[in-house]
Amino acid sequence: MRSIVEFKGVTRAYGSRLALDDVHLALEPGELSFLVGPSGAGKTTLLKLINREIRPTAGEVWVDGIAAHSLKASHVADVRKRVGVVFQDYKLLPRLTAMENVALALQVSDLRISDEEASDRALDALEAVGLGDRGKAFPHQLSGGQQQRVAVARAVVAQPPLLIADEPTGNLDIDTSWEMMDLFGDIAAFGTAVLIATHNVEIVRRLQRRVLTLVQGRLVRDQPAGRTGRLAWLASS
Amino acid sequence: MAGVVVRGRFPRRRMVQVVATNVFRYIFRGAARNWLRNMGSTAPALGSMTLLLFLSGVIGLSGLALYNLEQVEAGQASVLHVYIRDYAASADVDTLWDRLAQDPRVASVTFTTRAEALKRAQRIPGLPQLADATESNPFPASLDVQVKKIDDVAAIDVLVRNDIAVDASYPTSYDQGAYQRIQAVLFGVAVAGLAFLALLGFVAVTVTVNSIRAAIHSRRDEVAIMQLVGAPRWMVRGPFVVEGAITGGLAGVVGGAVTFGLAMTGMAAGSSSFTQFAPGITVTVAALAAGIVFAAGLGLGSGSSLVSLRRHLES
Repeated sequence: MRSIVEFKGVTRAYGSRLALDDVHLALEPGELSFLVGPSGAGKTTLLKLINREIRPTAGEVWVDGIAAHSLKASHVADVRKRVGVVFQDYKLLPRLTAMENVALALQVSDLRISDEEASDRALDALEAVGLGDRGKAFPHQLSGGQQQRVAVARAVVAQPPLLIADEPTGNLDIDTSWEMMDLFGDIAAFGTAVLIATHNVEIVRRLQRRVLTLVQGRLVRDQPAGRTGRLAWLASS
Repeated sequence: MAGVVVRGRFPRRRMVQVVATNVFRYIFRGAARNWLRNMGSTAPALGSMTLLLFLSGVIGLSGLALYNLEQVEAGQASVLHVYIRDYAASADVDTLWDRLAQDPRVASVTFTTRAEALKRAQRIPGLPQLADATESNPFPASLDVQVKKIDDVAAIDVLVRNDIAVDASYPTSYDQGAYQRIQAVLFGVAVAGLAFLALLGFVAVTVTVNSIRAAIHSRRDEVAIMQLVGAPRWMVRGPFVVEGAITGGLAGVVGGAVTFGLAMTGMAAGSSSFTQFAPGITVTVAALAAGIVFAAGLGLGSGSSLVSLRRHLES
C-alpha cells in the first residue's frame, strides 16, 4: 500500500537555524498519529511542508504520490486538494454561514460542483460532525467547539486522503477536546490518514495511537500505536 | 464523517453553466463586492489613474495634431514663394517662370495672383483682420516653387532673388532654419510630454499597486483560507486583477469621456481655427482616442494588480 505522506531526509532551515533536520517518516491511510514535541521543535514546519506552504531546504516530501518538494507555485492547489487542514483558531470566514464555509471549500477546489451538490455535501459533512441543525448559523453564533467542528467538516467535505490538524484542541475545554478526538478517530476509521500536532499529554497518553516526537527539529522517537512511552518532557514544555 | 458521495453525471451544457456560474460568483461578483467595500482605499488610485488617462488622451491628441502640423510645415517649407514686383513686365515673369520650371531641382511652378494671395491669407488665423484693415490688397502676386528637396530651397532662393521680375525689398518667403527650428520645438514638446506622462504613469501605477496591496492585507485571512482549501492560484488572484481592472476601466471611462468631450468642444467652438491649429483631429479620431484611453485604463489597472500580487501575495 502506498503511503499518503512520505518524508525522505527532509531538512528545513530558516537562515542558519534548522527547524527540521533529516526527517524520515511515512503515514499510511486510515492511520491516526500524533505529532508531539516542545515549542519550536518543528511541528508546525512539518505540517507546512505537507501542505506545501513551504518547501524543504533538502530532501523529498511526497503527498499522495505528488512530489510536494519540487511542486511549482502554480500547482500547489493539487496538493492542497488532497490535504484537509484544521487550525487552533478555526479560520472560518465570518461573513459566511457554517454551511457556506463548508460549501466554499468544495466549490473553490472544484468549479464543476453546483450549488445544490455543494449544499447537499456540506450538510452531510455538518451532520457527520454533529452540526446538521446549525448550518445557517454564522461563526460568531457558534461556540468554540462548534466552530472547530465546522472547520473539521470543511476539511473533510472533499474527502481528502489526509487530514492535518495543528493544535486543534488548543482553544477547547477538556470535554470538547475529547469529542474532537472521537471525531478524528471516526475520520481515520473511514480510511483518511490523520496527523494531529498537539501539546495535550493526556489525550496522547490515553488514546495510545502512533506518536511522532520531534525535538529540536529531529524525529527522535516514532512510537507505534498501542504502546505507552515516556512523555514526561511534554508536561514540562 | 460524511459517507461516500456519488457524484451525478451532468450533461456537458449543464457543466459549463455550473462552471460559468461559479467563476462569475467567485471572481467577478466577489471582485465587484470587494471593490465597493474598499472604495475608500481605492479612491486615490482611481483619481491618479483618471488624471493620467485624461492627460494621456489630451497629450496623445495634441501629439497627433503637432505631427500633422509638422507634416504641413515640412510641405510648406519646401515651397518657395517668389514675390513678384508690382508692375513687373509679363515677359520678365514668364522668363523667370520658364527658368524655374526647367531647373532639375524644381518639381513644379504655379502662379498666384494678388487676389488669390488675398484669399489664401484670409484662411490663415489673424490675417483676415489685417487684410480688412487696409483698403487696398497688401499681398503681392507670387510664383510658388515646389522644390524637390528641402535642402535645395536656399540655392533656388539665391538664383531668383536678384531677378528683374522679383520684388527687391521682399524677394522670397525663404527663412533660413525656420523648418529646423519648428522641428526642434516639436521634438522638445514631445520629449517633455512623454517625460511628464512617464512620471504620472509611475505615480498612478505606484498608487494602484499600493491600493491592491492594502486590499490584499485587509483580506489576508480570506486569501489564506482560500489557499488552504485548495483554490487554484488564478482563483485566489483573479478577484484582485478584476478589482484593478474595475478601477482602471472606470478611470478609463472618465478619462476617455473627458478627452472626447474636450476635443468635441474644441471642434464646436472654432471649427475653422481648430482645423488650422489641430489638423487631423476629427470626431472619429477623438472617439478612437477615447476608446484607446479606456483600453489603456483596463490594462493599467489589471497590470498594476498583477505587479502588486507578484510582490505581496505568497503562494
